[in-house]
Amino acid sequence: MILTYSIGLFVAFAVTGIAFFALMRETDGLHRLLLTDLVEVVTLAFIALVGTDLAEALILPGLVVGTSELIALSEIYRVKEGFNRPPSDGLQIEVMETAPPILAALLVGYGIILSGFSGGAVAGLGVIFYFLSRDHHERFEVIETASGYSWVIWIVAFFTFMIFPERWFFAVMLAGSAILVKVMAKMSIIGTMRGGPNV
Amino acid sequence: MSDIGGVDLFVLEFGDILHYFTPYSLTLFIFALIFTVLVIVARPERQLDIVFGGDAYYAKKTPISERRFRRFMAIACGLASMGAMASGDIFNYTLFVSMVGITNVGIVAAVKSRHVLNAAYEYGIVAMVGTLPLFGGAALILGTTGTLSIPALATGGYAVPLVAKILLALGVTGEGMAPFYAAKAEMFRAPGAPYVIMCSLSSLLIFLRVVEIVITI
Repeated sequence: MILTYSIGLFVAFAVTGIAFFALMRETDGLHRLLLTDLVEVVTLAFIALVGTDLAEALILPGLVVGTSELIALSEIYRVKEGFNRPPSDGLQIEVMETAPPILAALLVGYGIILSGFSGGAVAGLGVIFYFLSRDHHERFEVIETASGYSWVIWIVAFFTFMIFPERWFFAVMLAGSAILVKVMAKMSIIGTMRGGPNV
Repeated sequence: MSDIGGVDLFVLEFGDILHYFTPYSLTLFIFALIFTVLVIVARPERQLDIVFGGDAYYAKKTPISERRFRRFMAIACGLASMGAMASGDIFNYTLFVSMVGITNVGIVAAVKSRHVLNAAYEYGIVAMVGTLPLFGGAALILGTTGTLSIPALATGGYAVPLVAKILLALGVTGEGMAPFYAAKAEMFRAPGAPYVIMCSLSSLLIFLRVVEIVITI
């Protein structure tokens, strides 16, 4: 076995021990929820240690499972403890009124230049920031429709790859722009996750 | 294929990733299918609470919205168990198992009762921690042998480390939590019989399947 892999495994097992010990000692409900997230990170480290392309592909479902469990558990915790905070007015800082359009425009512009998945992430960050600091009584149907159409375009690009391989450049362009819109639309919803109407 | 599951009845290949049925896994699959159909057609039970010192009882009714959600979760749980039975790839199997864990938490947590929610929260934490040995075991198998396909591992020639097998079984135990059910009786104060039975059945099925996998590879 490769030495680096063994060392990595040893470290991962040590971190597992620490995480489980902390989980055993902790009694507060919310803190235990946060500690389970630490355990999730070690899980991803176990998969990442394999270090092949396949491991890279396996990290994504692992991450999705961990995140969905974390969301489900925090929802249960919220209902269990009866936390129903009324939606607040957001951040009341002057700079938050003027800066968001400029920063969001810069990030979205740079994201469009990057295109593809990483471009979507950068542009989505801009939109998140905009929604976080502004009112979010926006028309979500528009974002959802754009997201749906971009998914269709992505599928079309996928089929183009399989049926007309010689048109690969066209398919790459289609998929790149579609995934940009899709990721951006998905991420922009995070910026509005603080209750209130439309959410 | 090793002898525990019997001869292959059906194999559907997608390259390295494949789905297959042996008489053993086909039996478990049919069980999951029958119970999923039962969950779709059955009406939930109306739990009875006896009033002590009197000759009266309450009949609890499940609200429509809660019933709809729990039925959906129970169907999803049945589908996930069926997927876990048919899968021939260890990582796909672990993903289906963790989906069974999530849906089990969902089935129980839809009940708006403090006792039930407390139990569901504790169970959810165990299910979430269980993904560590589950995925850790699968990743160790991939790291040491270079493949995740169960038939390929069953042909021999691969040295699957014992610790990976133990981690896999431990992870399934965490997700299904079958051995801990006796200690978590609070969960079964949740009314709605066919849905809660789906929790028990799915954990039993994934446990029986992991026994086959661990012995075969």
